[in-house]
Amino acid sequence: MRKVLFLCIIILSQGCQKEKISISENASDIFYVENADASMRVLVKGNTMSNTFILVIHGGPGVSSYFYDTKYISQNLGDKFAMVYWDQRNAGASQGTNNGDDLHLDQMVEDLKKVIEVLKYRYGQDMSLFLLGHSFGGLIAADFITRPGYQSMITGLINVDGSHNYPLNDTLTRQALLTEGNYQVSQKRNINNWMPIISYCKSHKGNFSLEESMQLENYATEAENYVDSINHINMVTQVLKYTITDKYPLTAILSNLLFSEDSNFNKELAVKQFSSSLGIVTVPVLVLWGKYDFTCPLALGEDFYTHINSSEKKIAISLQSGHNMILQDKKFFCEEVSNFVLKYR
Amino acid sequence: MNLKLTYVSSLIYPGISIGVEYPINHVTLSVLKNQILIKRISRDRFISGNLNWYHHAGFHDNLYLTAEWVMRRTRYTGLISEFSMGPGLSRTFVGGTTYKVDDQGNISIVKLAGYYYALITAGGGLGYDFSMKKQLPLSALAKLNIISMFPYNSTVYFRPVLELGIRYAPVRSKNMPDK
Repeated sequence: MRKVLFLCIIILSQGCQKEKISISENASDIFYVENADASMRVLVKGNTMSNTFILVIHGGPGVSSYFYDTKYISQNLGDKFAMVYWDQRNAGASQGTNNGDDLHLDQMVEDLKKVIEVLKYRYGQDMSLFLLGHSFGGLIAADFITRPGYQSMITGLINVDGSHNYPLNDTLTRQALLTEGNYQVSQKRNINNWMPIISYCKSHKGNFSLEESMQLENYATEAENYVDSINHINMVTQVLKYTITDKYPLTAILSNLLFSEDSNFNKELAVKQFSSSLGIVTVPVLVLWGKYDFTCPLALGEDFYTHINSSEKKIAISLQSGHNMILQDKKFFCEEVSNFVLKYR
Repeated sequence: MNLKLTYVSSLIYPGISIGVEYPINHVTLSVLKNQILIKRISRDRFISGNLNWYHHAGFHDNLYLTAEWVMRRTRYTGLISEFSMGPGLSRTFVGGTTYKVDDQGNISIVKLAGYYYALITAGGGLGYDFSMKKQLPLSALAKLNIISMFPYNSTVYFRPVLELGIRYAPVRSKNMPDK
């Protein structure tokens, strides 16, 4: 029995863990970065010959980078650049044992730093590297880039519907829901659906508790269904579309998501803000926002844009998106990202 | 003692399981009507030990040992139904080269990167015992197991595993009808 086990281990180590570094126009490399009791999956996909890498920092906490790796992005960004999909700790395919106590923003920023170091170790220190933070990923990116010396590790930053200031985020979500809700009601659209949202916002005016913050976020997600101008995407269909081809570890993704959603970590996040420290940012920045994003409203993007000190910066707004522009307005998203990266790489 | 060899998979991810079963208890119930046998059911209890492996590309390989309590019922027609559950130990091998960066920024590759997990498996299935009608000491089985591994990222990881295969009974089965 011992010999069988030993043989199995040798086969496994020589197979799935053999180092593979592809420099090609159509690379697809998976590796893991181990840090503080977590092994975090990184997928590098696309044109690594370009020496230009876009590192996607997914939302959540607890959502996976698998959902960002779409065929459209492969064909419209991956053809020119290498897309890097990192699963944060306790998310997606990232693995570990009893590591819940390490789930902190500080730790995640250090994880990101190590992912970048490994990326450069594998593909070259001279690479052009852009961070692309979406939603909660925007908070990690904001924390990362405002740490002394860290922004020298990257070429530029793309903020897509990202949150850099949670307390302000809640206030703006409430305002956006009230403004759009009142407008929709005045147009006699989805009145029965909007009224409970408006009523909740009117009765909860500020100093939000974590429960209120989460309820506002739920309403923000729900409200997108009541705006006709948004290109609605069925997320279940979207997930099922790639489950087999991209070999999703579905139950791991789900258990990680449930754990992160319920984690005390969210209490820590509720008070995080980086508006006051964004002045340190000088790298080129692209800010992309959905006009109908209630989860992270447009005014949050404007706050980010105003506070950064970059001389090269641009804000672009999608007129048919809510919080998920990457799927809801994929052509707009890919064109804007592509133009920005080509200009500053 | 029975030997088992099965193909295990969940969705598209392949694997294999080998195991042995030690009989603990055997009861045969015969129902007679006018001295004619109309129904016979065997109830068996086994303890089984299994070595299992599956490969989920890009995620992990999982090598796990289980010890299970098996309850099996075999009808005179050869139809088998069974239920099993038990504890186990899992060792995963992360699905890619794993790097570690120390505080000085030195990067190294972690050999045999992966984790040990406690495991509980439970499952049920159907099969057919060829020894009931023919002199073949074989059974075919199809079984769905749910394995749960913990602590997995401070929570529990569930995975459905479909098992298809054969079971070999080297010693003439007690289920075989008397000649």
